[in-house]
Amino acid sequence: MSSSAAGAPRMTLRQSVALVWRTLRSMRTALVLLLLLALAAVAGSLVPQAGMADARIAATFRDHPLRARIFNQLGLFDVYGSWWFTLIYTLLLISLAACLSPRTRALVRNARARPQPARELDAMRHYAERAVPVQPDRAISGARRVLRRRMFRVSQGNGAGPPALAADKGLAREAGSLLFHWSFLLILVGIVWGKGTGFSGRVAIVEGETWTEAHANYDGQIREGRLFNEDHSGIRIRVDDFTATYRIPSGQPEDFVTRAELSDPNGDVVRSVEIRVNHPAGMGGVKFYQFGYGWAPVIEVEKDGEPVASAPVVCTQGRPPEGVSALQLPWNCVVKLPSLSPQVGIRFQLYPDSRALYALLETGQAMPMLTEFAPVMTYTAYRGDLRADRVQNATVLDTTAMRAWKDGVLGAGRTERLGDGLSISFPDLRQYTVLEVKRDRGLWIMLLAAILLLVGLLPALYTSRRKVWVTAEPNASGSVLKVGGFALQRRSQFEEEFARLVDELAKASGEKVGTS
Amino acid sequence: MSTEQWTRLSTDAFNVALFAYVAGMLGYFHYLAFRRQPVWRLASSAAFLGLAANSVSVVARGFAAGRVPWGNMYEYSSLLALLVVAGYLFVVEGVYKVRVVGGFVLAFSVLTMAVAVLFLYVGPAPLVPALNSYWIKIHVVAAITGSSLFALGGVITILYLVKDRRERRAGAALAPVAPIMGGAVDLEDAPPHFETGADEPVGDGATRRGLLPPAATLDRVAYRTIAFAFPIWTFAVIAGAIWAEEAWGRYWGWDPKETWSFITWVIFAGYLHARATSGWRGRRAAVIALVGFASLLITYYAVNLWIVGLHSYAMGVLALPAMALNGATVRRRAARSAPHDAREEE
Repeated sequence: MSSSAAGAPRMTLRQSVALVWRTLRSMRTALVLLLLLALAAVAGSLVPQAGMADARIAATFRDHPLRARIFNQLGLFDVYGSWWFTLIYTLLLISLAACLSPRTRALVRNARARPQPARELDAMRHYAERAVPVQPDRAISGARRVLRRRMFRVSQGNGAGPPALAADKGLAREAGSLLFHWSFLLILVGIVWGKGTGFSGRVAIVEGETWTEAHANYDGQIREGRLFNEDHSGIRIRVDDFTATYRIPSGQPEDFVTRAELSDPNGDVVRSVEIRVNHPAGMGGVKFYQFGYGWAPVIEVEKDGEPVASAPVVCTQGRPPEGVSALQLPWNCVVKLPSLSPQVGIRFQLYPDSRALYALLETGQAMPMLTEFAPVMTYTAYRGDLRADRVQNATVLDTTAMRAWKDGVLGAGRTERLGDGLSISFPDLRQYTVLEVKRDRGLWIMLLAAILLLVGLLPALYTSRRKVWVTAEPNASGSVLKVGGFALQRRSQFEEEFARLVDELAKASGEKVGTS
Repeated sequence: MSTEQWTRLSTDAFNVALFAYVAGMLGYFHYLAFRRQPVWRLASSAAFLGLAANSVSVVARGFAAGRVPWGNMYEYSSLLALLVVAGYLFVVEGVYKVRVVGGFVLAFSVLTMAVAVLFLYVGPAPLVPALNSYWIKIHVVAAITGSSLFALGGVITILYLVKDRRERRAGAALAPVAPIMGGAVDLEDAPPHFETGADEPVGDGATRRGLLPPAATLDRVAYRTIAFAFPIWTFAVIAGAIWAEEAWGRYWGWDPKETWSFITWVIFAGYLHARATSGWRGRRAAVIALVGFASLLITYYAVNLWIVGLHSYAMGVLALPAMALNGATVRRRAARSAPHDAREEE
């Protein structure tokens, strides 16, 4: 570590690498990087982030286009995925490793070496002399016992002088600190391994349907890790029932539960489960989390008495405006009938609780719909060209080439005739549950790292390094015990500690003679 | 007792506690200025009375709601005030025998409780599903204990900076003391402008005894408090991650609450390291601690009240966990389950 760069006009590659390395392994660099990481996180919490607040990002683009473009260029809308955030924590972890490697080597060296003898104990900050009525050898063996009992490592001086001991304790401090810091690299391993080999997706399943865990069945709503090798589990889940319970009238949610049956691909293992918020269910490392729900009315369409369609239709909600609860909004769905001529498309608005619709019509007040109560749908049917040849959104009806034909209200269990032999009925209202499906094989590494981190942190903060030396020199009535001490931390506490230790050392030697 | 009676008891006890803390605060400030022993006794009694009432309030609230009494911000604030005062009375005053900072500590609790009762009050109710987990016992207890200790450390750090400034001014007249720039790598107790290992500041004998304890004492107490809080906070963050894995299927998602608790953690980690770095001990480290204190307040208040995230339920309002389905799924899902498909028909 010589500063050879000072004199030379240009650094060689080797020297610049060495300089970067030296910079990285200084604690100051690590601290600066840590604070930079915190600053980046602050930015990420103040600027709306993609995937969490997409609506607010869109609003920024609309209201402040310039600012939004600058933010976008800087990656501020996706701080935690940006190249500079990755750079900061990568450098931090490299710097950490660079700091820790030499410290770990030093600790190992230190742990192997015996405590070293010292000279001139009486020049030490903590020093005491006691006359004890035993021979030096006996005094020293008493002292050794006391120090051992107090968790010191003790080594005996083999020099020519009077018998002497060197003792130290508190290596746990450095060991704990190292364990704590290394744990962060283990956390990185856990993240990379877990996310890399895992996947996480989201799926909507209507009551009564069975869904198989496979790539194609996520409809694109899945993120797979880079190391993932398409080993989806093939686990099947049959959703028997979903129930959302709210407290009435406050509307505070009480329980969301999906009752389902999980089975492995061969059907050997079959298990009934209840999936709740906070209570996921899993099989073979794949876990299912309750994420959301919605309504799926069964809609049957007949043409001249012949069934044209019959299936539950998934309804969705728009984003509720400010101050409005999602529970007050009706649910929207669309039925498209491209085989008819002219083609027919029907828009539905579902009110799971019909009282909400009547309240809206009579008083204009939106009412939360907490449970299913005589569900009702309003509908508007269109005739014309569905423009099915274009890329389409199934939840949106493109009416540019259609004309409004009929509208009305369809209650549960009722049938409405639209004319031309076409009738629609609403025999049943079901719910669908939205489940988050996930596999993360790095979790146990993360848990291990978290435990090691805490285990390391405690001694790193609360133990202190102490060194003590004892010699016993013969005198007329036995020997003189000379004790020197040195504390690297909590020096003020050591004052008392040392005094007690000296008392105990003297007492151990004194009592020995009394009993023998 | 009925729910109403428990609620009533909780609210009454809350008011008694608030009143007693205010009285105690005034008493402690009087003691700080005039050092009358009886006044300290009265102030301390008032604080203990407040602590007892505060405890009754928290416990009664738990019975009223039929669950752990830390399910929303009002309850959390009440418990935070309780722990800060308890930490002060039993640790700072009990162990370290530092009596004169009580006014500031009680002022913090009074402020917390006043904000709680004025702006954050909600009636007792069962937990929303997102909070209904045994992890609320583990995670929130750790978070609140860590917070109260950080808050205590923050208050004492402010006093340290005040006192340190005064001592420097007084000390400027005396012979300057060279700061000791040791190459210490370990966390160290004493700031550099004190003789290493000495607990009393150099030249203190010559300065007039001020209102506050010596800066070195304040600094040490603040450091110990923060060093004690740090592992608890670390554990709280870890427990939170485990709970998030259980509830939302991911242990970390940069939710504002997660982000800010991480920021707070990083700042206090920086503080502990700064104390080990020569040239950063003492005042500079104290400033970092204050930034950490500010970050803690943001984590607690600002994130809950103004920044929308998954933790917004902390207000106790309706919390349907993002029940809207992602648009893309719906489209494809609806396409599949649409009652009619041209291909089927043909």
